[in-house]
Amino acid sequence: MSFRLRLSLLFVATLVGVQIFTALLIYGVARRAFIAEGERQLSAGATAVARQLDDISVRVADNVQVLALDYALRAAIAQHDQSTVLSALRNHGRRIGADRMLLIGLDGDIRSDTSSLAAEGQKFPFPDLVDAALDRAAAAVVAMDGRAYWMIVVPVYAPEPIALIAAGIPVDNPLLSRLQKLSALPNTIELVTDVGGGHWTDVARGNNSVALVSALASAGHELPLKPTLVRADGREYVALATRLRESQKSAPVAVVLGYSLDDALEPYRSVALAWATLVALGLAAGLIGAMLIAKSVAHPIETLAASAHRVESGDYTPVQPIRSKGEIGQLATAFSHMTHAIAEREDRIRHQALHDAVTGLPNRQAAEDAIRQAISNGANASGALLMIGLARLPEIIQTMGHSICDRLMRDAGTRLRAFAANGLVARATDTQFSVWLGGTAKSDAIAVAFRILDALGTPYQEADLSIDTAPAIGIALCPQHGSEASALLRHAEVALIAALDSADPVAVYDPATDPHRPERLTLMTDLREALDRNELRLAYQPKLNLAERRVDSVEALVRWNHRTRGSVPPDTFIALAEKTGNIRRLTRWVLASGIAQAQEWAARGHDVRVAVNLSARDLDDADLPRRVGDLLSLHGVSPRSIVLELTESAVMGEPELAVQVLRGLSDMGIDLAIDDFGVGQSSFAYLRRLPVREIKIDRLFTQRLAEDVGDRTLVRSIVELGHRLGYRVTAEGVETRAAMEYLRSIGCDHAQGFHVARALAPEAVESLFARNDWDVARAGAGT
Amino acid sequence: MRVRSWIMVLSVFAAAGVSAAELTVTIDDGHGKPAADAVVSLRREDASSAEPHAAVTRIIDQRHETFLPYVEIFRPGDQVVFRNSDRTRHHVYSFSIAKTFEFVIAPGEESPPVTLDRAGEIAVGCNIHDHMITHLFVSDAPWVARSDESGRVVFKGLPKGAYTLDVWHPQLRPGRQAPHEPIEIGDAAATAKYSMPLLPDPRETGDRSRY
Repeated sequence: MSFRLRLSLLFVATLVGVQIFTALLIYGVARRAFIAEGERQLSAGATAVARQLDDISVRVADNVQVLALDYALRAAIAQHDQSTVLSALRNHGRRIGADRMLLIGLDGDIRSDTSSLAAEGQKFPFPDLVDAALDRAAAAVVAMDGRAYWMIVVPVYAPEPIALIAAGIPVDNPLLSRLQKLSALPNTIELVTDVGGGHWTDVARGNNSVALVSALASAGHELPLKPTLVRADGREYVALATRLRESQKSAPVAVVLGYSLDDALEPYRSVALAWATLVALGLAAGLIGAMLIAKSVAHPIETLAASAHRVESGDYTPVQPIRSKGEIGQLATAFSHMTHAIAEREDRIRHQALHDAVTGLPNRQAAEDAIRQAISNGANASGALLMIGLARLPEIIQTMGHSICDRLMRDAGTRLRAFAANGLVARATDTQFSVWLGGTAKSDAIAVAFRILDALGTPYQEADLSIDTAPAIGIALCPQHGSEASALLRHAEVALIAALDSADPVAVYDPATDPHRPERLTLMTDLREALDRNELRLAYQPKLNLAERRVDSVEALVRWNHRTRGSVPPDTFIALAEKTGNIRRLTRWVLASGIAQAQEWAARGHDVRVAVNLSARDLDDADLPRRVGDLLSLHGVSPRSIVLELTESAVMGEPELAVQVLRGLSDMGIDLAIDDFGVGQSSFAYLRRLPVREIKIDRLFTQRLAEDVGDRTLVRSIVELGHRLGYRVTAEGVETRAAMEYLRSIGCDHAQGFHVARALAPEAVESLFARNDWDVARAGAGT
Repeated sequence: MRVRSWIMVLSVFAAAGVSAAELTVTIDDGHGKPAADAVVSLRREDASSAEPHAAVTRIIDQRHETFLPYVEIFRPGDQVVFRNSDRTRHHVYSFSIAKTFEFVIAPGEESPPVTLDRAGEIAVGCNIHDHMITHLFVSDAPWVARSDESGRVVFKGLPKGAYTLDVWHPQLRPGRQAPHEPIEIGDAAATAKYSMPLLPDPRETGDRSRY
């Protein structure tokens, strides 16, 4: 229900309620007043009607008396002249309006009756009247044959009483009507008689047709000797009865008077009608007024509600002004201000969401959106995304704080913006800017990149500070490197990292070197599954003991035959495992498999040592020695049968922990070997701190051993120095007979490489163990 | 007049008197009021009729629209004459069974004598003046007397013996039984007392219709 309707209904309901209440009040008061008035009138009327009937009876009695004195009648009576008496009585009865005239003997017997010959000789039914009449004329209302009579009895004197004449004058409707006409009697008058058992019935009703007494009887009332309210013929009356003077022998007769409340209220009906009309008019006026008021209140509110819905959906169109001065007007004004404020705030929030607070440039999100839009527009489907990084920025923040950094970035942003007017400049990260050059090819992009480097190359000046920011730029091209904004940003960032790492400050994205290619993640997942499913295999490359001319040890190398990709290069997935933290699981698997294999070979009587590679990340694990020990004891393998190889770089990473782990392993009696010796930064001085038993010369030095004299000298020096320092020396990458021969000649302990054998399956390598006739030296070559 | 006739009746008894007793009858109207003009009759049980006596003529006067006297006792054979002493006419009538007559008597005139030959009560009225009434009590009883103002009748010199006593009054209510009783008269003086319910005195009721 609308507010307007409810307001209107409230007004109207209140109005109607008050009017109805007033009407009921007035009606109630008037009705009570009329009832009281009716009771008063009826009491007066009852007295009046009794007196009037008495008056009538007196007059009638006088008349009868006069008749009774008629000489001829008296003579006829005295002389018992029956027919004369009867005719005279009839005649006189007509004179006085009596229906029935009787001559009654002094003994109370009826001697003549004008209405019934049969009555002669019978007792007059009202002997008390006869008795009273001898003293004075007697009159009473009696009920006879269902009718009411004034029965007037007078003696006939001749000159002493000789008989009595009874005159029955009907008290009927005409008589009552006459009574009503002659006096101020209430217009409802009814003569009733008791027909036995307190049951009253009317014998005359005057000129009204309302049967009060039957209505009273049906309502369960007795004869209303006190004013009583009764409803008859659908109208309401106050009724009052009064008993009439009556013969003791007759049934009781009473007059019932009725005072019609409706008639009393009649004059007020027109007033009520006028009043009702006024109420109706007032109601209509009130309704219209209420509607108008409600409209003036509700319309602005509805307008405001509609505006609120608009604001909800993000439409901040100003609210149309409401011409209202009251509270509604104030509300509308406040609402309008609020809408304006919300719009402003939303603009600010959106700006903040899409712009960098320091430089005022669009942020990465905004840049990404803009680039996506530019690409999807189609016309500019190609372009270059430049990612500019300031290499020294973290250092600057650490030393000089964020505020200088912010100023520096702001300055850099300004320079960029001034430069790349047709490009979209944004702050991609805290330390990086991005510039999108739509429709720009690779060469142009590189040219622009160098120009930007020039622009940013000028050191940032502030007071006595001069800061060189060392910018670098990575470039990703659309669509070559991706047609999605996010991919372009990521690729440009990869290129930037590459540029920051290299001497060349500008780098174009190269998918091949991207360590973050998504397929690598897939590969890692697959590697984990492969570990679980035991899809990896160990291959063993023999190490030939040059002095004993037999294979006395092998290096375990992991091989992965991918279900779908086929053979995966170990370098690829090992490096990936190292970066993704899966290397420990891989190492664990390799250790378990290698040790199990060593146990198998030992069980078959082969005296072979198995070398397993450790990664730098394995050395972070202080638990490693214990785990290796567990594996060894599990398989019942002697620590002497195991060699652990690690690269130089591995022990450079976290020296303390690494050294601790290595000592732990060494203490267990496991020999440690340094792999790829000679290419890194390790030195003998450093090695001395480590419990290393073996060094493996990198293939870099052995591959061209036959041709390169320098390499020969270097290898010989390493071997000699190693031996002097107590290390066993193994040469890797031995691929020619000449190299092997040379290594034999200089006393290198082991040779490992294709010339000896490739990495082989366990069964294949096992067959080599038995050989002890390896041809390791030219005939005659002894040095 | 009344007194005189009363004395006369007594003297009649006295003259006839042998050793006799006295009877006093007192009559009231039941309300303690003495009833005048009551007529008391006595008859001996053994002697049915009165002694013969000479017929007399009595005059009922009409004066001031009143019959005088109100009650007069007659013997069968007596005559009555109505005299008009008023200045108006009187229409004297009787419908009584004992005697029916009707005279219009001019002022100062007298009616012809009417012989009352039968015992009985004759009510006489005036058709012109309703309140005028007189009663002629024709009786053949040996002892008959009218009560005085104090409602008393005294019989003297009554021979001893059994009597029947009758009381009559012009205003006796119709339907009521008048006293009709045996009474024993001895040597001593006897008294009898009767109450009779009476109608109002019609002479005093100027307008009979008023109630």
